[in-house]
Amino acid sequence: MKILYNWLKEFVDVTAPPAELRSRLSLTGTAVDAIGDSPAGPVFDVEVNTNRPDCLGHYGVAREVAALYELRLKRVEVKLKEAAEKAAGVTRVEIECPELCGRYTARVIRGARVAPSPDWLRQRLEALGQASINNVVDVTNYVMFELGHPTHAFDFDTLAERRIVVRRARPGEKIRTLDHIERTLSPEMCVIADAARSVAIGGILGGAETEITFSSQNVLLESAWFDPISIRRTAKALGLRTEASTRFERSADPEMAELASRRATALIQQLAGGEILAGVVDVYPGRRPAKKIELTRKELLRVMGADVPDKEIEGILGALGFDPVRVDSARGSSGSLMAAWECRQPPWRPDVERDVDLIEEVARQYGFDRFPSRLPPAKQPAARLPHVEAEDLLRERLRGLGYHEIIAIPQVNPDQDALFRDEGVTPARLANPLSEDASMLRSTGLVTMAATLAWNLNHSQRNLRLYEIGSAYAFRGKEPIETRILTLGATGLAREKGVYETQREYNFADLKGDLERLGQLAGGLAWESGAPAWLHPTRAGKVFLAASAHSNGPSELGCAGQLARRVAEQFKLRQEVFLAELRLDPLYRSYFETRAALRYDPLPRFPAVERDFSLLLAEGTRFAQVVEAIRALSIAEVSHIEAVDLFRGGQIPAGKYSLLVRITFQSREATLTEAQLSGFTDRIVTALEQQLGATLRSE
Amino acid sequence: MTTKTNSVAQTLRQLGITRAEQVAPLFAEVRAEFDRAAQAVRDEASWKAFRDAWLGRKSGVLTHITDNWLKPTPPELKRAVGQALNELRAHVEASIEASRAGVEAAAERAALERECVDLSLPGVQRPIGARHLLRQTFEEIERIFLSLGYTVVEGPEIETPYYNFEALNIPEHHPVRDNMDTFYLERPAGAPPLLLRTHTSPMQVRTMEKQRPPVRIIVPGRVYRRDNPDATHSFAFHQIEGLAVDLDITFCDFKGTIEYFVRQFFGPKVKTRLRPSYFPFTEPSAEVDASCHVCGGSGCRICKFAGWIELFGAGMVNPAVYGFVNYDAKRLSGFAFGMGVERFAMLKYGIDDLQLFYQNDVRFLRQFL
Repeated sequence: MKILYNWLKEFVDVTAPPAELRSRLSLTGTAVDAIGDSPAGPVFDVEVNTNRPDCLGHYGVAREVAALYELRLKRVEVKLKEAAEKAAGVTRVEIECPELCGRYTARVIRGARVAPSPDWLRQRLEALGQASINNVVDVTNYVMFELGHPTHAFDFDTLAERRIVVRRARPGEKIRTLDHIERTLSPEMCVIADAARSVAIGGILGGAETEITFSSQNVLLESAWFDPISIRRTAKALGLRTEASTRFERSADPEMAELASRRATALIQQLAGGEILAGVVDVYPGRRPAKKIELTRKELLRVMGADVPDKEIEGILGALGFDPVRVDSARGSSGSLMAAWECRQPPWRPDVERDVDLIEEVARQYGFDRFPSRLPPAKQPAARLPHVEAEDLLRERLRGLGYHEIIAIPQVNPDQDALFRDEGVTPARLANPLSEDASMLRSTGLVTMAATLAWNLNHSQRNLRLYEIGSAYAFRGKEPIETRILTLGATGLAREKGVYETQREYNFADLKGDLERLGQLAGGLAWESGAPAWLHPTRAGKVFLAASAHSNGPSELGCAGQLARRVAEQFKLRQEVFLAELRLDPLYRSYFETRAALRYDPLPRFPAVERDFSLLLAEGTRFAQVVEAIRALSIAEVSHIEAVDLFRGGQIPAGKYSLLVRITFQSREATLTEAQLSGFTDRIVTALEQQLGATLRSE
Repeated sequence: MTTKTNSVAQTLRQLGITRAEQVAPLFAEVRAEFDRAAQAVRDEASWKAFRDAWLGRKSGVLTHITDNWLKPTPPELKRAVGQALNELRAHVEASIEASRAGVEAAAERAALERECVDLSLPGVQRPIGARHLLRQTFEEIERIFLSLGYTVVEGPEIETPYYNFEALNIPEHHPVRDNMDTFYLERPAGAPPLLLRTHTSPMQVRTMEKQRPPVRIIVPGRVYRRDNPDATHSFAFHQIEGLAVDLDITFCDFKGTIEYFVRQFFGPKVKTRLRPSYFPFTEPSAEVDASCHVCGGSGCRICKFAGWIELFGAGMVNPAVYGFVNYDAKRLSGFAFGMGVERFAMLKYGIDDLQLFYQNDVRFLRQFL
């Protein structure tokens, strides 16, 4: 809401310059975002809180200024020079829907000369961003900006039977509004009608057929009060927000309706001449008695923690119109802990109904800065999230492995999400997305990871190692499920060329190794072949918790591998991309179990011995088979079995490959003798020859 | 061997030395010879040859002198030859030792020269990853409140209208809903509506439903508003909610807590100011401003020359909220706040575009390693 400094001064003799007024107002709850300049003087851009309809007019803001500077708020006095003839003699008002319209007042001005507005009026309206139309319409807008109450002027002679009926719209009823748009109404909406048709959407916008034109002579001036919720629904349903609807939907002051009518009528006569028919036609079914609210010092102290003197309490509440009266038995004693004030809720303050509302009024005007600061003592031990220890360690590892953390917005394109979505997962779609590209909550972090890799590749960042710890969203039946997930994405070089280093591309083994490093936190991982369609069919695998054997069978965490070229193409990823996604809750659970079971393993006292076996194996023979064959011998002294080299081609015959296996032997009882070692190696070689058809290459 | 030192293969007699006076010049010649040879020593190999030539047990010059000059010398010359030989030996040994040290020092110098690193060449940096700046900011804020005894809780992003609005005293037709344009989920016909939470405040209600006071929680999480994305808007962003409810919490405690937090986050010189505001679930409500941590309040680009920066909304819990969780509003009181994590990160690090957080450009991420 724009507020003119000079206009405020008509209601309160404030002398503070605009800049000072701005900062004082802001610190008492009337936020002035900026001060502009206009031919009508300085303009405050006031951000009015939605609970303060009274500040949607200069008079309401002037009341705040008066309270702030302890100045008198001038009354708005309007004396009308009325003709002898009575308004009630020429028009009638009926309210058929008192639940939507709590008050309707009508005044009639006869013989007005509709003309352009004088400069002072135009200037003020224009300074507030309101175009000038003609003197009569401008007056209604002027009074709205002044008193915060919307009014509407009808061309009296266009009203059928010159009377007003306030009723619900008929189903499908149409009206052409002032903006010359035909709108279709429904019975939830309140219309102002004459004897024949609706002539305005109540409290929102007038109709085109009854508007004031330069040929209008007689004016019916409406000043009414409409139910805020009804106004809000109607404005929303019609997509029609007006200055009037903004005020009524926040609950305007029903008592102000009559004063606003008088003020507007007087101004119309002042600017357009004519005669005012005597009296107001005032139908007021929604009249309510003023509510009484009691404020006690005890409650003020309980909420605020520090006191405010009687004089300040009474001064502030009095200036804001709450008419405080001491009602406690200790009335004579100022500052009494027993002090209680009975206050009256003014009709312009629908937001103040309880003692805590009064406490806020006192506190904000007294000044938040005048209350002391205190740090309350802690009463309970603080706790972090239950899984956070595991998550911290996971992050620490990922960081050490060189992965940057990303945080992606989880609203995605449904087609892209579908590329990665497991069968049987019901995705969470938005009913009202901003765009198709962000119309689904991701069912996996892979879709956002792929997009992030693409973003970086498009910005010439081609060596990437990224992770996200986030959520995947889906429905299980009708229940939404948010699953904690870890997503990895990597592409480009695993090691960049340097003075001392050769470069190497990131490959599946990097991904596997990094995941295994993470899995070590949770007792290790197990791998199985098989992969969803979005992964490269032969460079991918499923990931399980190795430790989960002792609970309910192997627990699948997710999968990992190279992104299928077909999918990579969709994201315009032109280099090999590796992705993995793991569910985190089982990983975290396993971490805590593994950690709880972790014990010291005594260091061996005797030396370990390494033996290398250069094996020639048939293609298709897996390393796991080699390990299994060796383990099956149950040689307790075999402590490690590693693959240290692998090659094909050259002297290796087709259909075979060479695998260099390094076995570490370690005894806890004694230093191993050559005889023992050659015994072991003979058994191993024999087993590999017999079971896998392996041959030993020359050592 | 030079001609002179060849003379050591002959006896004194053969050399015609018969008188004591002749001995000294003879030895002087040998010594001069030695000194010349010492000059020629360049490295370890030439030093070894030099040493062997002079001190070699079998055929070193000194051995020859002993065998050919001293041993067969007549008694009248013995004393003179013996003395001269001793002097020569002392000189040779000292010189060779000195020469050795010189050669070794030179060798070490040369080795160091060869091994010299170029300090301006980069070290081999094993890659490490960066935590996302938002994560770092979350953690920084959490640490401060953990130190004040707040427990961290989290809640669902997919919420019901009841927790997101109604139970926070925002009934269906409340105008404040305009400021929180909301995403709803597509639901089968007849299923109750679900939305993406517009703030982390629903966890105030969920926590109080489950827990009796005292309550001290913070709620980090993602929230959603139906705003078109630009440099200052995003349809998803992050908040940290705070809530403290107890028998004796007052506005003064609220103020003290907020001030402590702001000083911890932005620095001890930063001042806090509370501006009255309006939120349906707090009363009194306040916008928390901080004096600009960059210019100290004199006005700069970061604070848009206002000296103060609006940080977040907060206030005393509106008693109406207690009604939804069966708390006794007449006995309990508390405060709540909801801060935007992006805003804190932007202010602290001078970031001017919200979208940078979600693009995840590694050139951005790496800056906060």
